[in-house]
This record gives sequence, C-alpha cells and structure tokens, in this order.
Amino acid sequence: MPMKGKYPIRRTLDYLQKGDIVFKNTVKIMTVNYNTHGELSDGTRKFVFFNIPQIQYKNPWVQVMMFKNLTPSSFLKFYLDDGDQVLVDAEGKDHKDISQHVKKILGKSEEVLHAEELARMVHSNPANFGPKKYCLRECMCEVEDQVPCPGLIPLPNEMRGKYKAQMKGIEV
Amino acid sequence: MSVKSASVHAKWIVGKVIGTKMQKTAKVRVTRLVLDQYLLKYYNKRKTYFAHDPLEQCTVGDVVLLKALPERRAKHVTHELAEVVYKVGNVIDPLTGKQVAGSLFREPLTDSMENPAGSLTEKLQELNITAA
Repeated sequence: MPMKGKYPIRRTLDYLQKGDIVFKNTVKIMTVNYNTHGELSDGTRKFVFFNIPQIQYKNPWVQVMMFKNLTPSSFLKFYLDDGDQVLVDAEGKDHKDISQHVKKILGKSEEVLHAEELARMVHSNPANFGPKKYCLRECMCEVEDQVPCPGLIPLPNEMRGKYKAQMKGIEV
Repeated sequence: MSVKSASVHAKWIVGKVIGTKMQKTAKVRVTRLVLDQYLLKYYNKRKTYFAHDPLEQCTVGDVVLLKALPERRAKHVTHELAEVVYKVGNVIDPLTGKQVAGSLFREPLTDSMENPAGSLTEKLQELNITAA
C-alpha cells in the first residue's frame, strides 16, 4: 500500500533527519517570499516544497513564515538576534543552489556540528540508569538475561526477604 | 527575581496585525510551523501576541516585526513594535525598492516613457515655426 500524496517521501522521519542546514544560534526568523505561478519562482517553490520541512525539523526554535504573491520577485529574508537582517535573492535560482547558499552563509559548519555531537555524547553516559528521557535503561530488569521484573514474574523464594525472615523465625 | 521578565524563546517575532482597536496596542497573529506527529507534515499553528505600538502606526493586515520587551509591560503585552515589514496596500519590494502590488510593479520600471513625450513637444514646436 503506497503512501498518499505527491512525493510522500518528504513525510518520512528519515528524510527529515537527513536535513543539511542547521542554523547558527543568532538566526531567529526565516521568511520566504515567492509566487505561485511563473518560472522565476520555480526554484523557490521547489525549495519550499522539499527543503523547508527539513530545515524546520533541524531548527525547531526558528520561526519560518511563507508569503505568497506579495511581490513579483522571490527572496528569502533572515532576521538575526542583534536586529540584523539578511536578504537572499532567489529569483531564477535552482532549489539546490538556494539551499547550498543558505547553508554557506547562515548554517553551522561541519566541524561545529561534530564538536556539538561529541559534547552531547560526553554528557550522556550509556551506562547510567535513570528516566527514559536522560538514560537508556531505567532498571536492571530491562536488560537481557538479568533477573526479570518482580512486578511481572514473582521472584524465587530464596531471593525474597520476607520468606528468608520467615525461615529464620521458624528455625529460631 | 521577576519570573515574567522575558517571554520564553520569543525574542524576535514576525506576525500579521489583526486588531488595532486598543489604544497604543496592536494584536498580532504569529504562525509557526508545527509537525503533526502522525502525518509528519508541517502545519501553521497560530498564536496571538499583543504588541506595544506607541505611535499607532499599524493598520489591520500589516506584516510586522516585534521585539520582546525586557520587562512585561502589562498583563498581556509582552512585545513592542520593532518595524513594519510589509505595509498593507503599500508593499515595497526589498530587492528593487519599488512599490509593488501582487505580481506587478505599481510604478513603471524604466524611464523610457519620457522620451516619446519630449519628441512630441519638439515636433509640435517645429510645426508652429513652419506655420509662422
């Protein structure tokens, strides 16, 4: 049974996670102006169709707004934290050119991304037990080949403190 | 110490003005893209913010850039107007600087319209001279 819609691959987690562009921390808002008809806006339309979901997935705290048919030209505008604005002309460009250009001017470079990933790995130790949000496992009973959770399968009598205390009481 | 000092995460916002009935305050609707967990598709989610507009220069329909106030001004007013990005009815194309309406330019782009008029007046003067 195939997925519904045009290019439903855009709606897969795999595709979203493959997004290239991670914006620098100063970029707060991204605005795309384009037209629904006309050949000049074709690249920008494809950029919005294919690349915007990837960008928004990788940058959940950046506000992305689309404006259709406001001006005859098509462009992207970025609003940075200090009040600076960056205008990127997208008229007649291909969607791959636009995304590469945006990555070059406002995206985090490969080294920075690697360094951040290393920092994240250093912080999270896979040997720790704790809440699912921070660690891989919560209890030893989740690990293969360890004693199963007593909530599901009762422990054998030798391991139960209550039974041992009873036995001790009877002996004495 | 004040807990309500800066609005969470929203230092700069772009939105559309939907109401100006309050004095010196504009009601702004901000849309953000939110992922639907099942469909894995992004949809616009709206939120209204109230912005302080001391000069009352906004009209309904303007696209506006808001800046977060360092301290909450009133119970609901948390942002102030930084600039009007696109004024309704008077959109200026940032690439050319000309007035624009939809997919057309309002003003003629080239100055070649003046020359035919100039040549016409010259021709009229010539005719007068010959008549005299």
